[in-house]
Amino acid sequence: MISDPKIQIRNLYKVFGTDPKSALRFVKDGMDKDKLLAEHGHVLGLNDISVDMQVGDITVVMGLSGSGKSTLIRHINRLIEPTDGKILIDGEDALLLGTEKLREKRRSDMSMVFQKFALLPHRTVIDNSALSLEVRGVEREKRKRAAARWLERVGLGGYENHYPYQLSGGMQQRVGIARALTSNSDIMLMDEAFSALDPLIRSDMQKLLLDLHVELKKTIIFITHDLDEALRLANHLVILKDGAVIQQGEPQEILLNPEDPYIEAFVSDINRARVLRVKSIMQKTVSQSIFAGDIDGEDNLESVIARSGGETEHVYRVTKNNEAIGQLEMKDVMRALVPRAASGPRSVA
Amino acid sequence: MAYYDGLFNVLGLRTWCDANAGDSNLSMASLLAKTKPGTADDGPLFPFPSMDELHQACSSMPQSRDFTASVEAGFLEVKDVLKLVLDPLTQPLSWLLEMALTGFVSAPWWIIIPLLLLLVWYVTRSAAVTVFVTLSFVFLGFIDHLDAAFQTLAIIGVCTGICILIGVPVGIAMAKSNTFQKALIPLLDLLQTLPTFVYLIPLIFLFSVTEPKLYGIAIIVYAIVPVIRLTDLGIRLVDRDVIEAANAFGMSPRQKLFGVELPLALPNIMAGVNQTIMMSLAMVVIASLVSAPGLGVLVLRGIRNLELGVGLIAGLGIVLLAIILDRVSKAAIARVSSDQTEA
Repeated sequence: MISDPKIQIRNLYKVFGTDPKSALRFVKDGMDKDKLLAEHGHVLGLNDISVDMQVGDITVVMGLSGSGKSTLIRHINRLIEPTDGKILIDGEDALLLGTEKLREKRRSDMSMVFQKFALLPHRTVIDNSALSLEVRGVEREKRKRAAARWLERVGLGGYENHYPYQLSGGMQQRVGIARALTSNSDIMLMDEAFSALDPLIRSDMQKLLLDLHVELKKTIIFITHDLDEALRLANHLVILKDGAVIQQGEPQEILLNPEDPYIEAFVSDINRARVLRVKSIMQKTVSQSIFAGDIDGEDNLESVIARSGGETEHVYRVTKNNEAIGQLEMKDVMRALVPRAASGPRSVA
Repeated sequence: MAYYDGLFNVLGLRTWCDANAGDSNLSMASLLAKTKPGTADDGPLFPFPSMDELHQACSSMPQSRDFTASVEAGFLEVKDVLKLVLDPLTQPLSWLLEMALTGFVSAPWWIIIPLLLLLVWYVTRSAAVTVFVTLSFVFLGFIDHLDAAFQTLAIIGVCTGICILIGVPVGIAMAKSNTFQKALIPLLDLLQTLPTFVYLIPLIFLFSVTEPKLYGIAIIVYAIVPVIRLTDLGIRLVDRDVIEAANAFGMSPRQKLFGVELPLALPNIMAGVNQTIMMSLAMVVIASLVSAPGLGVLVLRGIRNLELGVGLIAGLGIVLLAIILDRVSKAAIARVSSDQTEA
């Protein structure tokens, strides 16, 4: 990315307890989460987090429960105030905003989608999705038109006058997404938005989100505890453990190069053939002239294996927009399918 | 001599004790002792050191009746100031009650009954409840108790209205401030546990018994507690996720209160209103002791003159009113709740 990051988080700390400021000193001196709780009765929420979130990217923050991911996302719109650190949005220090300015920012610059949907039960679907415009004081007819358009887009046309309790979980979350989209903000914060949905619906919703992302180019911050979901959505993946970032970067890169046993354990359960893409494991030089065929850099390994028919001697040419960008030996494909911990030193770049 | 003589001697207070001996009032016990000489020392072996007992040993000690007298004197002391403040403040209550009473009684039955039934229908949207209310009114009218019943209803209506007007904002303030909640809960507990008759005593001294606000205040103070408590509870029970969403979309505290918290707390607030109505009804009967008109007066007459039939029929009328008020308000709650969620 050439442009400045949309959101920059710098050395962010959050300590929960009665006297967070003094407990913070121990954290900065290197005390860990368990010791801080045992000796000082304070809970370490976030520990020295620095992340850049680029314009138009989906940044996925992943971690198990208690890792601080929900705490982190709530710092971006300051539903939770940090103990120490900086948050810059469009280069502007978000922590300096007064109550009124902050409210203004929440109204027009960022929207949020919640795990438990958090729709207003006494309002119809269309009034729910028009919420942000209503808060901003947009007149009734105008905001209804905008809300109706986005409801249509997320596939809820015709449900405008239903109440949330009349809809299924998946449909309620579509309302949640429509509500976020109707606000027309650049930043979308999604807190475990799909975690409460069953797998098939979840997959549908992920596709909807990816489509919307291509269409709208919003900066999306997505929280999840599910690595499959993270890998499917992420441009940039941040992995949290005990409130600290243990690895961040391009998802394929993390998959191939886990830096921590915790991540290795995570990654070992993944269907690597489906997640890994050709461009991540190919050789970037074209050294042969005879190829079994052309494959696209964006293809996943599953499709390559299907294409080779199980033949391990083939070498494919990798193309992007009909131009050769590298080559792929089937041997490398096989090697890439085994998680690193078991495969010894890695041989592909 | 008295049991505790020795105590005052040991403490060296004898001279102080005897300083104004003789001019104090005689206690009942000492009077009895005088009339029946020889029984004075037949008291218990070790009497409790009460004010009266100590007074026997030391006449400078106050007696317990001095204590009650000083409470009364203290109240009478502040009474004038209290009256000066409370009188103009509560005058509108008198006007409202008088207006409602004359309105209900002077309007012809063929206007007032359809109006009330329309209101019942509007609030409940339930045919069963409306039919029941109609039959009750017809019955009360048939036995010539309609006027008294309407007087009772008028008082309950005015008092409940004021309870809601004051109680809901107080409940909101309680929900918003933990300190305020902590401060107010003992007061609400006190109001709820104080025997109903005890309310009337200071009020009788403050206001003249002919003023409607006397019983109006008694009813309001007694019945306002549930609506305050349940407003507080209802707002505190609003789903935190929904509040978080409201914050995330930049709602102001005012937008949150009217757009989210109050609508979601409404079923609870209505339950509080239902309780308030029922407690008003209970109090309006007792308040007939201080000239509150209505069915309570007939009950009182039944007790005073031992007119069994009058008292029982009036009691039946009160039961009918209670059922009407309860069913109507419950039906309204059910309607509000079903608008929101299936739960």
